[in-house]
Amino acid sequence: MKITRVAALIVAGVALQFFLGSSRHRAAWPVDFFLLATAVVARSGDFVRAVLVGGAAGLLEDTLNHELIGMNAFAKAVIGYLLALLSVRLIFGGPWAVGGALAVASLVNDAIVAVLAALLLQAPIVLLSRESLWRAAATGATGSLLEAARVFPWRQWWQSRRLRRLR
Amino acid sequence: MVLASVLVFCILILSAQVPARARRGSLLQAWILTATAPLALGIANVSRTMTGIADSVGDLFTTRSENQRLKNEIVKKDRELFELRARVASDALDQQLLVGAAALPKILTVAPVLLVESRAGLQSAVIGAGSAQQVVVGCPIAVPQGLVGRIVTVSRSIARAQLLIDASAAAGARIVRTGEMGIARGDGRGHLKLQNIATTSRVAPGDVIESAGIDGIYPRGVTIGTVSTVSRGSLFLEIGVTPAASFSQLTDVLVLSPSPAVTETAPGGKDARQ
Repeated sequence: MKITRVAALIVAGVALQFFLGSSRHRAAWPVDFFLLATAVVARSGDFVRAVLVGGAAGLLEDTLNHELIGMNAFAKAVIGYLLALLSVRLIFGGPWAVGGALAVASLVNDAIVAVLAALLLQAPIVLLSRESLWRAAATGATGSLLEAARVFPWRQWWQSRRLRRLR
Repeated sequence: MVLASVLVFCILILSAQVPARARRGSLLQAWILTATAPLALGIANVSRTMTGIADSVGDLFTTRSENQRLKNEIVKKDRELFELRARVASDALDQQLLVGAAALPKILTVAPVLLVESRAGLQSAVIGAGSAQQVVVGCPIAVPQGLVGRIVTVSRSIARAQLLIDASAAAGARIVRTGEMGIARGDGRGHLKLQNIATTSRVAPGDVIESAGIDGIYPRGVTIGTVSTVSRGSLFLEIGVTPAASFSQLTDVLVLSPSPAVTETAPGGKDARQ
């Protein structure tokens, strides 16, 4: 994947995060766009880019949201590596599989951040909260929809639609 | 190799920040917040406009019932206002109230909420006001319903706040009805716990909790929430508190002037007060 496309993905992640974040209905569909950006790069199977993009996206997320910079960068770098490994070593595809993997990745991200926060900030470990489960579901469903849109035969669909109209 | 390098880099960054975190937000955070401010504010404006349009369209369908509800509410409020005016006029303690009011904090500015993050018990918000609006680290933030949190990192036009429901946030609290003081702590799941209340306390569900002003951060007398559950622990009562502020639907917050204790301990605090 080209560097410009990677940069565009991260900028889009920030933009969407702020777009939904400043809305009153932000809790309705709390997608982790930085995780989606990491997953898109990891999908190509490039370990180095997946780890670097995960680290960069997490770093940006930390700067915007957290007291300690590096917790999400650590988590997303690990997740980038794992997702790249998953897409290279396993025959992996289909909206349901991608959605499930992203939901699990979101929960793993939360678990890593919770452990790091407990170690470094002496904060109590909060796992599997309602927000965390809902974000995992929303991120998984969004990833699943994007994958379904990616593999959908749009050209054939468009041509058959045109043919139907002509008839 | 790359994964190891990135992880080591993250650990180094984390280690470098840990000793300094209690005093102020890091410089790197402030710089990146400043850099993202134009993007954040622009996108937030677009988002708010679109949400506003969607809400306006939705309101068209509910205007009639909403109007009737508001009329009833105004009648009820008028009645309450009349009673309160009469009570205040006849109350001999009104002078004491006025003295107490002097301790209430000044509102520095009203800021839009740009982002709310809730992950692994860490709850924070990015707001659209910064040092240009005299906002400094330690400023409490609130909504008319109650206390929301405090500012932890400031850039020129945006700032980051730790919410009261964060798993590591705490505030000195007081039960209004009984006058007992304790510590309100976030549980990281959207609720609060009131700690250090003796088992002999007469606290009951429904009691209002307000800030006690004993922590040097939050002003006294601002509503925190209401008691939802009370159970007996080994030494103290275990009290669950439902926050007064609706954290999931924050749109704008009031940024209050920082407590004198904060401005005195913060670097450059005297300048901040001027």
